[in-house]
This record gives sequence, structure tokens and C-alpha cells, in this order.
Amino acid sequence: MQAFFFIAFPYIALILAIGVGLYRYFSHRFTYSSLSSQLLENRHLFWGSVSWHYGITLILVAHVLPWLFPQVAEAVLGDATRLVVLELTGLALGFYCVFGIIVLIARRLPNDSRARAVTSSMDWILLLVLAFQVLSGVGVALFERWGSVWYLSTAVPWLWSLVRLHPDASTVTGLPVFIQAHLISGFVVILLFPFTRLVHVFAIPIEYLWRPYQVVIWNRDPRQPVSSTSAKAPTVSMPTPAPNDLDRRRLLVRLSLLTGSVSAAIVGIPSIAFLLGLRKAPEVWRSLGAADSFQIGQAVEVSFLDSSPLPWSGVTARTAAWLRRESPEQFIAFAINCTHLGCPVRWLPNADLFMCPCHGGVFYKDGTVASGPPPKALVTYPVRVRDGMVEILTSPLPITSI
Amino acid sequence: MRVLKQIWRWFDDLTGFSQSLGPIMAHPVPQARKTRWFYVFGSATLIAFLVQVGTGIALSSAYVTGSGQAYDSLRFITSSPIGRIIRGIHYFGASAMIILIGLHTIRVYLMGAYKYPRQMNWLTGAGLLLFTLLMAFTGQLLRWDQMGFWTAVVAAEQAGRAPLIGNWLGHFLLAGNTVGGATLSRFFAAHVFFLPALMFLFIAVHLYLVIFNGISEPPKAGRPVDPRTYRRWYHSLLEREGIPFWPQAAWRDVFFGAIVVLAIFVLALVVGPPELGKPPDPTIISASPRPDWYFMWYFALLSLIPKWSERWVIILGPLVFGLFLILVPLLGSRVERSPLRRPWSILIILSVVFVIAHYWVIGIRAPWSPRLDALPLPSSVVGVADGPIAVGARIFYDKGCEYCHTISGYGGIRGPDLSDAGDRMSPAQMATRIFSGAENMPSYRGNLKPEELASLLAFLASRHRMQLPKPPALQGLVQQGATNGR
Repeated sequence: MQAFFFIAFPYIALILAIGVGLYRYFSHRFTYSSLSSQLLENRHLFWGSVSWHYGITLILVAHVLPWLFPQVAEAVLGDATRLVVLELTGLALGFYCVFGIIVLIARRLPNDSRARAVTSSMDWILLLVLAFQVLSGVGVALFERWGSVWYLSTAVPWLWSLVRLHPDASTVTGLPVFIQAHLISGFVVILLFPFTRLVHVFAIPIEYLWRPYQVVIWNRDPRQPVSSTSAKAPTVSMPTPAPNDLDRRRLLVRLSLLTGSVSAAIVGIPSIAFLLGLRKAPEVWRSLGAADSFQIGQAVEVSFLDSSPLPWSGVTARTAAWLRRESPEQFIAFAINCTHLGCPVRWLPNADLFMCPCHGGVFYKDGTVASGPPPKALVTYPVRVRDGMVEILTSPLPITSI
Repeated sequence: MRVLKQIWRWFDDLTGFSQSLGPIMAHPVPQARKTRWFYVFGSATLIAFLVQVGTGIALSSAYVTGSGQAYDSLRFITSSPIGRIIRGIHYFGASAMIILIGLHTIRVYLMGAYKYPRQMNWLTGAGLLLFTLLMAFTGQLLRWDQMGFWTAVVAAEQAGRAPLIGNWLGHFLLAGNTVGGATLSRFFAAHVFFLPALMFLFIAVHLYLVIFNGISEPPKAGRPVDPRTYRRWYHSLLEREGIPFWPQAAWRDVFFGAIVVLAIFVLALVVGPPELGKPPDPTIISASPRPDWYFMWYFALLSLIPKWSERWVIILGPLVFGLFLILVPLLGSRVERSPLRRPWSILIILSVVFVIAHYWVIGIRAPWSPRLDALPLPSSVVGVADGPIAVGARIFYDKGCEYCHTISGYGGIRGPDLSDAGDRMSPAQMATRIFSGAENMPSYRGNLKPEELASLLAFLASRHRMQLPKPPALQGLVQQGATNGR
């Protein structure tokens, strides 16, 4: 049974789709269209059609691209954030499609609707199959999570095995039934192509972009120019464009803006990414000297290299801290930065206080706020004693945030 | 001379400059009459900016953008006589630019020149004001001595108070976890490329708008702006009594600009650039970061506002200021322009100027900063060489009291002056205060041994209002006068 659905049926569907499709193309060429019902009705169609087409196009791209480039997809999805973002986007698009197909079905339902009058039984079958397809897709996304990842190791090898003519369904036969249904109904959709208006996919009028313009004559000027209130008249007057030229001009303007923005993005996005890319410095332990060289109870200033010194960092690669030996085995290290605005606090050994020279913040010897503006206690760095040496963990500059 | 003229003719024939730019230079402007000298601040700001561009390019030819070497390269620049002058010009040029853009803003605001149709002139100008302040800030940092280093830290800390993104923003400014190799490059790029590019762009738009909308005519009380008729009225005004900008109005700009340049140069020569402090070594902790003079008032403002409001003011203060600048031309952009009919505008400017001047003066004194460089009290102040009072004076210093409290002119001014503490408080009151501390004073509970406390109280109790020694000859007179007075 599974051999039929996952090996024979896909080939049958594809062969029929291509064969009947070619036959229809050469015998009934003018039916290669979406048989638009737009002239009959506008409102529902807009919401349904736009939601459906945008959603399904992007989702199809998301199905096809990982199939074509599985290694790339694997690398992209390797990062948890990217995976979550992609899954959420896909799910949102899925709901978008569901909304679209529901509207598209609903508009044909009323008995007296004009759309119903032109709906054939094939249309109903197609709509139902498509609805099943997106609903099961959303179901898969909801209940069998991280489909974008397991897709790569289940359906993709199976699809490639079909392409290579060495069909092998072993990677998909173990899947839950409703995922299998999603896979099979996908091929049902392919099967339906030549028998329904789906063929319009192959008739996207992309040549609109470069075809010569058409002369459309209006009885009245469709775009009454807004009368200008500006006091300045253009110094060089252009010949008034023929109305039919306007469409072409508008298209050219949009194309120019689009290409310009794409070029700017190609240069701008890496530049901004470089600017924003913080080097995540690893935290490392730095030795501060032998533990026995520190007296118990006295805070002393220690300095160490930060975690990522650059060859040109010079003295700025250093970091300072106040280190105090509490007991023979116990050390505590405070950041020198006042929690108020980051100025370097000083240890007053006789008074057992840290004092900030900027705004007079004072901290007790355990780092808690004694007086003045600091909102919180001095930040401590992790310290440890290892083989008789005191070591400190390099940490980011403490920034007080609310 | 004739050759030069011929060259110019040939050049002009090929470029058409005298036909295209000539009319722009000579475009008619309204006569400003009594207020004509108020119109020079904008062009003077531009001249100061050009001074900055020139000297900045010169400085950048020797400045090394490396956190480890920038300081030494600045030392090198300062060690050459001309380098020293260039640095001085760049510093005083920055100061001049801040002052001039401030005067220009005040002039435009008071004269209502931001009203219809010149709102966009104001908004681009507001952008330029913001960029100028950012340039001043980043420029101070590029000095990359100890002050520059701590400026970066304080900037990151202030950015850190932004909600949600604060921590990220702070480390973004530092270009890493800590101040290090990448930090200076980031500020250098902002100061030398990013901000100047924006400024050139905004200046171009600003100047274009000045030409497009025309220079505002001096306001007249009782002559409100009506957007429906203003442009027509303005053009008829120009036709009636306009004068060509070049040279009849522009000569004042040139003249005043030259004075500004001369003043900058003389100051650079006589006063010289700000001294470089200690190297930017994070481990030299004896640092007391202070901003340059133009941010001194802001430093004071942040120090004197109530503690609870600080987290709001640090972030909202600049935002509110920016919002004010944006809203000025959007609200009330019609009606009266004359300051005589806009008393609130005069009041606002006076208060802003007064507040800034006031905080600036306080900022220089910085009474909120403890004086960590205070020295132990000399025996002439203490009065005795040994005994509990002398021990108490020593404890007064050792425990850090003197960093905040003045005794007879020695010590800090963060806390109350204790020169006459013995007259004002009983030892019991003093002990209470020392133990309990206060908002800005740490508690010394557990920090003082009983005998230390006793000596400290003895010392403080011995502080009395200064008795001026009186010449013996006058003693009788004074006593007599005192009795008579009663």
C-alpha cells in the first residue's frame, strides 16, 4: 500500500500532470489561465486571493529551497534563533493561507453568489484539496514541531530518490499518518494541475515587465493632476507626457527605485552588520599572583589583561579590580567602576570604604552602597585560588541598566 | 592680472558658473536694518565648521587610531609647534562652533524665523545642532588621555540606562565587553566620517533651503505670518527693497567670520590646546573624570537632580530636548514672529541661558565631588600638636571625613563645613550623625573604636568660629562699641 502511495503514485501524478498539461497546452491553449472571476466580484476575492497567493508562494519557496539545497538549509537551521524565527514565520504564513483559502471557498458558497455560478466541480475538488493541504501543513507545524529540520532527513531524501529514479520510501514510511497524508495530497495537487485552473501558475504574465506599452484611451483623464499651490514654477518645462506614457514612466520609476534599493541593501546590510557585530569575547581566568602575597583584610588594586586584547590595544587592554583576601582561602574582587556612572572608585584603607571621585558615591567594604547616588552595590568578579595562585575571571565592563 | 582674467573667462565659458551660480550669490535678500548684525551667526557657524574640517584633516594625517598609540601620537603632534597650534585651533574652533550655533539658534528662535515657510530650515538646523554636540562629545573622547578614556566609560554607562536595550547599547558604544582596542576606532569613525558626512548633507540642505525660502525678513510686531499670502508678500518685499546678498549683505558675514577665525587663532596661539592628561590606562584609578567646558553644565545638572529622577533624566532629558526642537516649528508656525509679541519665547531663552550659565558655574566648582587629594590638616589649623584633639584631627583625615567636609578652608565641600562644628552641635548630636550617616554620608557604625570616636568628637568640639586676633590698642574700643551697641 505504502509502495503505491509513495512510489507509484508520485510518478503517476507527475506523468499525468506533464502529459495532460502538454496536451491541454497544444489543444486548448486559451484555457491556460486562472479563469479569473474578478470582473464578477471584487471584495472577498481581494482578501482571499492576496492572502492565499502571497502566503502559498512563500511557503512553496520554503518547501522547494531546502529540497534543492539541503546542506545550506541544514547550516541555516543549525542556529536555534534562526530556526525559531523561520518556524514562526512559516506558521504565520500557514495561517495566512488558511485564512485566504477559507475566504476563497466562502465566497463561492452562497447560492445566489455570482462566483458560485461559474464554479465547476473541478474547482470544488481543487479548493478542497488545497484546503486540506494547507490545513494539514499547519497541523504538522503545530503538532510535529521543527518540521523544517526533520523535513531534511525524511521527505527530502525520498523526493530526491524519486528524481534519481531509484525510489526509496524508507525515510517516510515511518512518519505519522497525517504527515504522510500531507505528502500524498501534495502529489494530488500536482495531479490536479492540468485538469483545473491551477495551470495558471505556468501562465504568469511576467513579460508584462518588458512588453511594449499599450495605448489605453480614456474618455476622461483618469488622474486629474492636483493643481500645484507652489509659488515656484519649474524653470525648465518638459513636454507634457501623453497619458499613456504615464504608466510606463511609473513602472520605470518603480523599477529604478527597486534596483537602487537592492543595490544599496547589498552594500548597506553587510556594513551595518559589521558595525553591529559585537565580538563575543570568551571569559578567561587570569592569574593575579600567588595567594600568599596578599594580606588578609586589605583591598589592593590588581590589574590583568582583558579577555580579548588586540595587538593595538596598548594599555587599554588592561582591566583593574580591587582584590581583598578575606581568609586564607577566600578572595573577593570588586570592579573598580562605580555603579553610578562608571568612574573608578578608590579604596580608603583606614576608613574601610570605597569612594567615588565623581559624585561622591561611597561603598562599604563588602561593596554595598553606603551613601550617595549609586543605585546598587559594586559589581564583583569571580575569583578562585588554584595551585596557590589567585585567578580572576575576565568579565564585561559592568553597566548599570534599569 | 590680464592672464588671470583670461583664464577665468575660459573657465567660466566651459563651466557656466557665472550664469548658474552668479544669480544665486546675488539673490535679493530683505534689508535687515537695525538687526543686520544678528544675521551673521549662521554663516559664522559654517566658517567655524570649515575651520574644523581643515584642521581636522591636518590632525588626522598624524593621529594614530589605535587605543594603544593614539595618546602617544597626540603627544607627538603637540610637541611640534605647528601641531600644537593646529590642535589649539581645532579645540577653540569646536568651542566657537558650539557658541555660534547656540547664538544662531537663539537668534532664529527669538526672531520667529522658523515660522512658515521655514520650518524645514529649522528642522535641518536642529539636526546640525545635535550633530555638533555629538562631534564635541566624540572629539573630547579622541584626545584619548585619561579623561577621554573615562568619557567612553561614562558614555556607555549613560547609554546603559536606556530601557531594555541599555546593556547592549552600552557595549555597542564600547565595541566590545570592555574599553579596548576597538573602542577608539569606533568613536574615530563617528567623529571623522559618519558625523561629518551627515553634517555636510544637512548643511547642503540647510543652505539650499535658505536660498529656496529666502532669508527671513526682520520681524515686525503686529505683522503676523499668513501662509496663504506670505510667499507672494515676501517676493513683493524683495522686489521693492531687496538688496543683492553678495556683496551687500554677505560682507558682514565675511567680516564677522574673519573676526571669529582671528579669535580662534589668537586663543590657539596664546592659550594653546587642552593639556593631555595621564595616559588612558584603566588601572590608573586616581582619576576624576570631568567633561570639557561645553558639557560642564550637563555634568552639573545630572549631579544635582534628585537621585530618584536620575534614571529618567539621563534618558528622557536628551529626548525631551530633541522633541522640543522638533515641535518648535510644528506648533505655532503661523501668527506673530516678533519677540515683542512672544514674551514666552524671551522667557524660555532667558531661563535656558540662565540655567545653563548657573549650572556651568556650579559644574566648575563641582561641590558634589569629594576632594580625594585633600591633605591632613596642618597643626596651625588643629591648634595643638598632641593630645586627643590632634589624634581626632588625624582620624578626621584617615576616615575620609575631610574629603567631603571643610575645616578652616581645608578639605572638600560635598558635606557641610565643619569649621565651627563645636558651636553648632553637641558631642551627642555629632555622635548620632556619625553613627547613623545620611543620604550622602556613610554610616561609621562599627568603623570607629570607642577611643577613636572620643578623640574625633573632642576634635570636632574644639572647632569654633574663628576668633580674629585684635590689636591690643583697639581692644578697649571694640569692647566699648560692643557695650554701646547693646
